[in-house]
Amino acid sequence: MRFFRIYKIFVAQKIKMLMEYRVDFLTGATSFLITQLTNLVFIGIIFGQIPHLNGFLFQEIIFIYGFSLMSKGLDHLLTDNFWKLAYFVVRKGDFDKYLTRPIDPLVHVIIENIEFDALGEFVTGIVLFIISSRKLKLHFGPLDILLLIIAVIFGAMIFTAIKILGASIAFWIQRSGSILQIFYGTSDFARYPTTIYNAFVKNLITYVIPFAFTSYYPAVYFLRGENPLFNIGGVVVAAVILLLISICVWNRGLSAYESAGS
Amino acid sequence: MTKLKKILKIYKPFTKAGLQSAMAYRTNFTFFVIGESLYCFVLYFIWKAVFASGGSNTFMGFSITDITVYVFLSNIVKFLIDTDSTVSMAEEIKDGSIIMRMIKPVNIDHSLLTFELGNKIMMIFCIFLPVMLGLEIYRYVILGKIAFNIFSFLLFSLSVVLGYLLSFYLNLIFGYLAFFLLNIWGFSILKGAILNFLSGATIPLAFFPGAVRAVLEQLPFASLVYAPTMIYMGKLSTNQILFTLLKQIIWLIVFVLISDFIWIKAQKRLEVQGG
Repeated sequence: MRFFRIYKIFVAQKIKMLMEYRVDFLTGATSFLITQLTNLVFIGIIFGQIPHLNGFLFQEIIFIYGFSLMSKGLDHLLTDNFWKLAYFVVRKGDFDKYLTRPIDPLVHVIIENIEFDALGEFVTGIVLFIISSRKLKLHFGPLDILLLIIAVIFGAMIFTAIKILGASIAFWIQRSGSILQIFYGTSDFARYPTTIYNAFVKNLITYVIPFAFTSYYPAVYFLRGENPLFNIGGVVVAAVILLLISICVWNRGLSAYESAGS
Repeated sequence: MTKLKKILKIYKPFTKAGLQSAMAYRTNFTFFVIGESLYCFVLYFIWKAVFASGGSNTFMGFSITDITVYVFLSNIVKFLIDTDSTVSMAEEIKDGSIIMRMIKPVNIDHSLLTFELGNKIMMIFCIFLPVMLGLEIYRYVILGKIAFNIFSFLLFSLSVVLGYLLSFYLNLIFGYLAFFLLNIWGFSILKGAILNFLSGATIPLAFFPGAVRAVLEQLPFASLVYAPTMIYMGKLSTNQILFTLLKQIIWLIVFVLISDFIWIKAQKRLEVQGG
């Protein structure tokens, strides 16, 4: 209960900022929107020349793409603060503030910021998802909708876990932004069917940095209805395992953290 | 001649400082380049699948070898013409440290440029040359003959230098605008997304539908990445190359003039508080 009360205060604060700097928000959200649109134009140009990509139709590729944006955007909306941590909060010694408050540092970092720019990604994802499922005439029963919500939430948790992991490295090396960028960047591979990659990339995004579970695997379940245990269950398993590992590393990092001088 | 020597003497320390700073942050820089290059591999696999699914040996006049070279080369060109001048300028104006440049007997643009030159020298030796060598070996293995052409390479180098200068002044103008209008960070992301797209870093401009392509090829953004990459790949005729270089020079002059004009206006409005 206390948690929600604090979170409400932080969000209210952020909304006030949003109203004050409306142009900033519009710039941020538009920039993420335009980035996605350019990728869609790219896909469109490709499909102008070929009927299908490895057996996937244009609308199916868009469906997978939209799916990836939903989990990515949800995580981006809620846990963007880890980027700041990785790039400069730890290095400047500003992390001390989280240690002096009567709230768990990890929880504090997450609830302190809500990044409305992410709506540019999240809403685009939902729109693409709805349009492509209509064109493909996909039918969603109540169970499917439940599975969809589970897949998106746990998919977002995979992103969160990777970000906690990448940001934790900063406790040892002060600045881990570009390392986190590499981890996070591999999610770009997951926006397309894993069948187009070679075995190395495929295994990497399935078992090592399991971003394929944030988009392709759950999406392909809704498209083809095959193998729910792996395609949906895998999302939950991957998210839980990764989150446990990342919290473990985070806690170790906390004890290794030494504030910057001065 | 003596004047040139004097100029070199003035700006040499800037380049040296740039090189030293690049060396100091090399680990961070390496990770940055790896992170930014991952998307090339995504594109490479997509194109491979496109060729496998399309059943044709060419995609709008590009073979799979062409596309592979284009994807990786255009990414490297993107790094070469990339510049921090937007951020440096906007931040120096914001925190007032711009005054330290203004009181020195040096030209502000030139000091920023020569500083960045140090950075670029490291980039050429550590990234560009190894990747170029890799691509040439790849082309040799696939095509069975050496595809490297020294004239194309020299014209490419000239085109990259022009592209970089154009990018520098374009970004300087963005920097001034960002300062006057909006937050720098959101604006940089937006700018990056638009530049990547219009400069041909994501898709060769040749793949766009006729009318769109004709417009995009005339815009200054095409001079940044698309022009040098196409020259290197030998995709342009001699006349087209000359015309491309001419376009780059004209756009460069236009943007230098605009940036000078804004700077003169901005100087009058500049207030530096405290010290």
